[in-house]
Amino acid sequence: MQIAIIGCSAAGISAIEAIRSKDKKSRITVISDEKRPLYSRCLISYLLAGTIDEKTIWYRPDGFFKQNKVDAVLGAKATKIDTEKKEIFFERVRLGGRVEKLKFDKLLIATGASPKLEKIPGVDKKGVFPLRTIGHTQEIQSMLGRVKKAAVLGGGLIGLRAAYALKNRGKEVSVFVRSPQILSQIIDEGSASMMQKHIEKKGINIVTGRSAKEISGKDSVSGIILDDGSKYDCELVIIGKGVSANIDLAKAAGIKTNWGIVVDEFLRTSDKNIFAAGDVAESFDVALEENSINAIWPVACEQGRLAALNMLGNEERYDGTLAMNSLEFFGLPVISIGITKPKKDIYEEIVRTDAEKNIYKKIVLRNNVIVGAIALNSVDTIGIFGALIKNKVDITPIKDIILEDYFDYGKIVNLIKGAKYGFKEKEFKETIMTL
Amino acid sequence: MKKIFCDIKKCIGCSACEIACAIEHSKSKKINEAIKEIPLPIKRRKAQAVDKGITISTGCHHCEDAPCVTACMSGAMYKDKKTGETKHDEDRCVGCWMCVMTCPFGALTRQKQDKIVVKCDLCPDRDTPACVEACPTEALFIGTEKEFEEKLCKSR
Repeated sequence: MQIAIIGCSAAGISAIEAIRSKDKKSRITVISDEKRPLYSRCLISYLLAGTIDEKTIWYRPDGFFKQNKVDAVLGAKATKIDTEKKEIFFERVRLGGRVEKLKFDKLLIATGASPKLEKIPGVDKKGVFPLRTIGHTQEIQSMLGRVKKAAVLGGGLIGLRAAYALKNRGKEVSVFVRSPQILSQIIDEGSASMMQKHIEKKGINIVTGRSAKEISGKDSVSGIILDDGSKYDCELVIIGKGVSANIDLAKAAGIKTNWGIVVDEFLRTSDKNIFAAGDVAESFDVALEENSINAIWPVACEQGRLAALNMLGNEERYDGTLAMNSLEFFGLPVISIGITKPKKDIYEEIVRTDAEKNIYKKIVLRNNVIVGAIALNSVDTIGIFGALIKNKVDITPIKDIILEDYFDYGKIVNLIKGAKYGFKEKEFKETIMTL
Repeated sequence: MKKIFCDIKKCIGCSACEIACAIEHSKSKKINEAIKEIPLPIKRRKAQAVDKGITISTGCHHCEDAPCVTACMSGAMYKDKKTGETKHDEDRCVGCWMCVMTCPFGALTRQKQDKIVVKCDLCPDRDTPACVEACPTEALFIGTEKEFEEKLCKSR
């Protein structure tokens, strides 16, 4: 069997490993537009910050393709999929855009997502970057010597990580956030304001409710003009305005797309021979109970693995995606899972704050089942909430203690025992069998 | 695979496992010196209350489809292909806490000074893990799931 994979980051790599764990014979061809794709995308801001060295970012060894008997077509762009003939067309950038084609039996589309760029005048100037690939990091690094002040547009995960990295490199950094709070897609106002205060105390300037309307300068950036007309001088602008799924290739091939490529519970697209995984895939979200894209590393890896197993003819059901983020700035960690800012009144919220210890914890419930959680500065047991979300457990018996500092695995043992259909992860049985 | 199991019926929550674990993971491996080490040695096993008079000693379950391995973005957390053990390479760890976020047992601990995570390593320097040896009621057991089940059958 010939398996083709387009894209070679988290989902693609995870798929290769899953295929080879079961099948040593099938041919695997991976097409990636990056020349050296085996790095961890999540680590590029760490590299920019200088908290890790170049070597740590390569999270799979150089011999990975050879070891896994993968035909890697690198620095090549897939341009067309013919679903009828089961062929992919791709251009090799290095060979002057020569077009080649590849026949496949099964195809995995793991084309990921691209950074959304601001549609404001001046985004094309030198010194304006998104932060998505190792190439961006290298370009930013090469000009850091000339930078004294930097502006970050966007107060989400990437924006703040970029700001943290630049501050760590001794730059003066201001973050401009259109929303009234930072991390508005990830955490609620209460936890965000605690994090914002902490970051500001460490010397990063954060301006909320403000966006840039223009980037000024001749060829290179010299500053930004904000929507209230005020100016901020800087030599570097990083745009962290989220990502959008790379669906064009699939869409043009007639594969069903929405915000992403729509997949079923087996990660299959509308074409039975074509699967999708990672930041490009739109799948059922267990907390929202509707389709969604959670463009995060763990989801990409899990989807890549399951899609691969299903391409081999198995029937591995995917339970669904779940939003999840872990961040730490200057020693203050925050982790969030699922729905953190419920909009409808069918949800109940329980919050516990401890100003002295700088702790903020919240759970969001729907009919006494957790659908979301935030933990700031007391994060060690939040994974247990994740298990309770996925297993849809009625937590009424532990509702009054669940946010306390002493809450731990022991406190859910009776819930696991009482769970009607048991917990999905088989390891929970190890506890129950001794009761 | 071989791993550590806890029989809740026998656990008395004495914390002997916690202390033995912390000492085993200290520099000196001696209690009188370990308590003075900076950073303090960290236990990877915890005695926790379940209900009145019921306790459990819990740590890494070395899950088959380990969510911490899937979530690890630096390749620090991995499965030992031979033993099935979930292993952690501290040199590769960047302290992103993605494993903490996904562990359904809350079994990982952050070592804040070096910004790395620490977990049960089944005591590679010993024949029997320190916690199992220290358990005064034989609630803790090292072996395969099948062996543990057989032991439970015999004792019930």
